[in-house]
Amino acid sequence: MIGLAKLGGRTWVVTAAALTVLLVVNALLQPNFLEPSVIQSNLTTFLPLVLVAIGQTYVILGGDIDLSVGAIVALVNVVTVSVIAALGGDGMAVVIGLAAGMGVGAGCGLVNGLIIAGLRFQPIVTTFATSIVFSGLALWVLPQAGLPVPEPYWRTYAGTIAGVPTVYAIYLLAFLIAAFLAARPFMTRLKAVGGLRAAAFQTGLDLGRLRVLAFMLSGLFGAFASLCLTGETASGDPLMGQTLAMSAISAVVLGGTALAGGVGGALGSVLGAWVIGMIGSVIFFAGLPFEYQTLVQGLIILAALAGGVLVTRR
Amino acid sequence: MQPVLRARDISKCFGAVHALDKARLTVEHGEIHALLGANGCGKSTLCKIIAGTVGLDTGEVLIDGKAAALGSPRLAEEQGVALFYQELSLVPQLSVGENVFLGREPRDRFGFTDRSAIQRETEALIARVAAVAGKGFTPDVRVSDLSPDQRQLAEILKVLARKPKVIIFDEATATLDRRQVEVFFEILRQLKAEGVSSIFISHRMDEVFAIADRITVMRNGQTVAEFAAAETDRYAVVYAMVGETGAIAASVRDHKPLEGDARLSVTDVRASRLGPVSFTARRGEILGLGGLQGQGQKALLAGLFGAAPFLSGSVSLDGVDVTVRRPADAMAHRIAYVSGDRGRDSALPGRSIFENTAIASLVRERRHVVPGAVFRERFAEVLAGLNTRYAGLDAPIGSLSGGNQQKVFISRWLSPAPGLLLLDDPTKGIDLGAKGDFYLLARKLADEGATVIIYSSEDSELLSLCDRVLVLNGGAITADLTGDRLTPFDLTRASYGDAA
Repeated sequence: MIGLAKLGGRTWVVTAAALTVLLVVNALLQPNFLEPSVIQSNLTTFLPLVLVAIGQTYVILGGDIDLSVGAIVALVNVVTVSVIAALGGDGMAVVIGLAAGMGVGAGCGLVNGLIIAGLRFQPIVTTFATSIVFSGLALWVLPQAGLPVPEPYWRTYAGTIAGVPTVYAIYLLAFLIAAFLAARPFMTRLKAVGGLRAAAFQTGLDLGRLRVLAFMLSGLFGAFASLCLTGETASGDPLMGQTLAMSAISAVVLGGTALAGGVGGALGSVLGAWVIGMIGSVIFFAGLPFEYQTLVQGLIILAALAGGVLVTRR
Repeated sequence: MQPVLRARDISKCFGAVHALDKARLTVEHGEIHALLGANGCGKSTLCKIIAGTVGLDTGEVLIDGKAAALGSPRLAEEQGVALFYQELSLVPQLSVGENVFLGREPRDRFGFTDRSAIQRETEALIARVAAVAGKGFTPDVRVSDLSPDQRQLAEILKVLARKPKVIIFDEATATLDRRQVEVFFEILRQLKAEGVSSIFISHRMDEVFAIADRITVMRNGQTVAEFAAAETDRYAVVYAMVGETGAIAASVRDHKPLEGDARLSVTDVRASRLGPVSFTARRGEILGLGGLQGQGQKALLAGLFGAAPFLSGSVSLDGVDVTVRRPADAMAHRIAYVSGDRGRDSALPGRSIFENTAIASLVRERRHVVPGAVFRERFAEVLAGLNTRYAGLDAPIGSLSGGNQQKVFISRWLSPAPGLLLLDDPTKGIDLGAKGDFYLLARKLADEGATVIIYSSEDSELLSLCDRVLVLNGGAITADLTGDRLTPFDLTRASYGDAA
């Protein structure tokens, strides 16, 4: 335990170790695992979760939680495909559709933030309630799955931009945004808000503004994830992304961000998201019967979380 | 030269209460200025106004001779006034440097946090207090990894980083031991040498005379005296705090001398920031706990009731050990507790008067079903005896005034009558008429054989109600006042840690 105690507060080290183990196991189970095309395909599968987890990190760092991000993903998806379809599906329509999607994501985050920070509602109950509202809106916008997106949309997503696979470009962009935010005073202040709210208040920080911004980031990254999922599925689906919110919260905690707030960072959450993705992959390639997959996945996440908790508790 | 800070004719009302009535305060450059007064004299309010956390109704504050606009803590800081917070303003998860510059981070030309500047400037600040910093006190260590006195130091660095002209230390030494106080004084002297002035609210007279250059005394929201510390003594200061009301003395009280042996015996009890303290009390006695606020009185009551159990020590009542670990056990021994914080500690909000009354009996008698008819009869009788006005037992508790609510909360404990009644600032925020009823009730219960222990933040309440007052200072009993010695003067003096 002494060895673990030295890691105190660096749960992400455990997560990185877990990721390494999973990579090795996966490479053994799946001979072509390290081929570039397989790597790209895996990273594409994990990308939405990675993005949602990055966004969720800010909310959790600020001492809140966002259960509605899965519903935001669905709402953004149906709004985007509907806008594109309504505008005729040409290039301009796609651009406007993407912008509308991002706007919806940020708007949902703003609503969450204003209700929670402005009206002082409980974040867990509020975002649970708004998730139902957002899901309802998604069903209202697009009652049934369908409405394909134009071919250039999903072709670009699966293809390359300036020679770089689009998925990698998106990863790079997400990392750059996270790194940008991490180097701003915003990050320290957000940690202060989540760390000890009374102290942050005494210091004169604008708590409401910081918390609203965190929820907007979660909404924006949710929208980002939704647009990627849309590139994969190439159509609208009002039930998309239902498990994403919970998986992302697990990823954030696995990545060393304290659920109580104040400690952590987006990079850890990326590792956490990969771990969760790899767990699914290992189970699949280990040939486990489908019926057990969800159960085993849950147990492994629970074990990984317990490992993190042991490190944090000194 | 102009004084660095001059507050003139400051008045402030909270509702109908005049917290400050044309108070004044003058602080010179490079001076350590002690601000003294009994509970509720307005010293904290005055400091909060100067620090911008509370607005003023009338009056003005001049900084270096210029009228200052002090609408918020931030504005006050910009004009050179900083308030030192006890512990509340440090975020444990952040590093010392991050805490010191939180909210005012130096930025590079791209707007990113300039971490090397934080490192550099925090190091420079630490160098100023190097003599007392201790091991491992670096800019990048997390505050949660610091020792308590290093945390205090980090708090001071955070204040210093704002380059203040005046620092207000409100009870800064309250949680420190003797050695830490020395360290703290060393810092105050160094600030003074650098020309920074300090306003220092303390609860210990010997500290005041050890460190202060000048002393301002407040009473009832007014500034009543200003002294140069070297030219006065503690008697003069205490007299100023007490004022002419020092004469009310024993005449209001009409108490028979207490007879009989001690029935409550408290031995070496300890809690966080309390004790060890020991004392005894008799049947029929109303024992007051006096002193400035936050000296361990509430911890003592909470410990006796088991709400926050003592760390060590023992309590016995009528020869039975009642060192309880939880309120349910205290209730089984007929120990009752009524808090002045009705909303937090007493009320079942939104529930009826009946439910609010019956709750204690349910717990004590371990009942799972409310015997409606029996209880209703019992409590109608008890409540009628309290002279409480109410629409009916089923009216919601919130329909009653604060004073009447408090009577309901007492009625919980009256059937059967309590052996030990603990009152924690019970008349806070209730009107004068209800207070009078409350005192009569406490006296009646004592006469019927209860031992009553009351903490009050109002000295006059203790002086008029109690047979005896234990004065606490920094978690220790500094005086045991009865009879002729139960005077405002002795109470105030002991409140400031001066044992008679």
